[in-house]
Amino acid sequence: MIKFDQVSKTYPGGHRALEKVSFELGNGELAFLTGHSGAGKSTLLKLISVMERPSAGHVFINGVDLNGVSNRQIPFVRRDIGIIFQNHRLLERYNVFDNVALPLVIEGMHHKHIAKRVHAALDKVGLLDKVRCQPSTLSGGEQQRVGIARAIVNSPPLLLADEPTGNLDPELSMEILKLFEDFNRHGTAVLIATHDLGLIARMKYRSLTLNHGRMSQDPLMEGGL
Amino acid sequence: MSLLFKSREAQTTSQNKSVFLQVYFFVITVLRQGVNSLGEMWRTPMASMMTILVLGLSLTLPATLYIVVKNVQQVSSGFNDAAEISLFVKESMSEQQTQTLAKRLALYPEVADVKLISKSQALDEFKRISGFGQALDYLEENPLPNVVLVTPTDRYRKPQAAQQLLDKLEKEREVEFGKLDIEWLERLNALLSLLKESVVTIALLLLSAVILIIGNTIRLSIMDKKEEIQVLKLVGATNTFIHTPFIWTGIWYGIVGGLVAFISVALMLWWLESAVSMVAGVYQSSFVLQGLNLNELMILLLLAITLGFGGSFLSVHRYIKDIEPDKV
Repeated sequence: MIKFDQVSKTYPGGHRALEKVSFELGNGELAFLTGHSGAGKSTLLKLISVMERPSAGHVFINGVDLNGVSNRQIPFVRRDIGIIFQNHRLLERYNVFDNVALPLVIEGMHHKHIAKRVHAALDKVGLLDKVRCQPSTLSGGEQQRVGIARAIVNSPPLLLADEPTGNLDPELSMEILKLFEDFNRHGTAVLIATHDLGLIARMKYRSLTLNHGRMSQDPLMEGGL
Repeated sequence: MSLLFKSREAQTTSQNKSVFLQVYFFVITVLRQGVNSLGEMWRTPMASMMTILVLGLSLTLPATLYIVVKNVQQVSSGFNDAAEISLFVKESMSEQQTQTLAKRLALYPEVADVKLISKSQALDEFKRISGFGQALDYLEENPLPNVVLVTPTDRYRKPQAAQQLLDKLEKEREVEFGKLDIEWLERLNALLSLLKESVVTIALLLLSAVILIIGNTIRLSIMDKKEEIQVLKLVGATNTFIHTPFIWTGIWYGIVGGLVAFISVALMLWWLESAVSMVAGVYQSSFVLQGLNLNELMILLLLAITLGFGGSFLSVHRYIKDIEPDKV
């Protein structure tokens, strides 16, 4: 699904965020991306969603080299990727329904299809009763779940999450992770960036560790060899 | 439309869409965004009102100047016969010769009409108007010459052309000399063209102000929605999708601003009408103040829409590309 081939990213000013990172995430795989803050987790996710371009090396999604994607094509890449943020990034002006419907409106989907899909997505995250609420009236965990519903509403084959549990207590974090597991069981590839090591320890998924911009050894991969 | 996953085509809505349907959905989306942006202006009435009033006033000024020019032109077009040429016929010429001259002149392509005023006619008229009446009877013979009044065609009524025609007519052998009272006409025309040119300059300045006002309003609205634009870019909105609502806002500003200008011009004319008819009455003129007709209203609106589009287009292309979702 995702393949990094000797990817380096140097920011203007000389900060080397990533150095020769190579890894591969299989179709339908769920993996954690860990590392201390500033290790390059966010940069790595930005390279996948084409918010940044690599300074060297290639990033492939489903075999397509993102270096070959023009700026005009970026929106169409992002429509295939569900992105979940630590601060959920909901639009306060709109209610929950409109927030979740956003990716579908952008695609120009018909009204009645939109309603069906939005309700299905909200049902999955257990917020069907909040469909007409404003985001600001919801709790942190609920807002995060609305963000997740928005990310999955157009059933993207790939989900990226950046510190999705950053602001939540362990119990809520676990709930959110259960959601990701659920999507993963339905075939969606999931990459979760987190520094919550306790959380990772409780789940037996592959974890990719970044250390000062370099990918540390991947225990699962080693086991496979 | 999936770039990375060809197999996804089947599940998205884009499946089996013909070009016609895609265009149809695109148009529907754009129209829906137009209605939404109108609704948004409605939700922030104060801010929108201020901008609209400023635009309305900026458009009222050029429209008013235009009306001034239009009305002055209407007045001055009544002075066409000012370009009449009087040809004084040599004294030695007989009545017969004068008449053939008049007939010959009437065949000139530059000449619209020829009128012969014989000595005796002229004298009668002079007696009647001057008030010398009987005193003139003491004259032994008529001192007045035969006069041919030549009205040039439209093309030869302008001062320069009329002067050329006069020179040509003076070369006729029967003509003593000709007279064309065009100096004041030249002055009037010079003033008119000065007025027109200053109107064009002022209008251009004010219209650029309109573009800047709309551009700045849209810029502020873009800054205000920075967060929203970032999120839209993150979930895969194309630039067109993000730009359209702002462009629409500019167009709505243009339409409403244009209407405000039209209404204020109409109010102003209504206010001035009685004063103008009084002045016209004093001059015994049938002058009626001309307002904006339907065509001119359409042009005003079209101009306002173009300016609204232009201003928002500039802002949108300048500022939205800088707003990138840099934080995941």
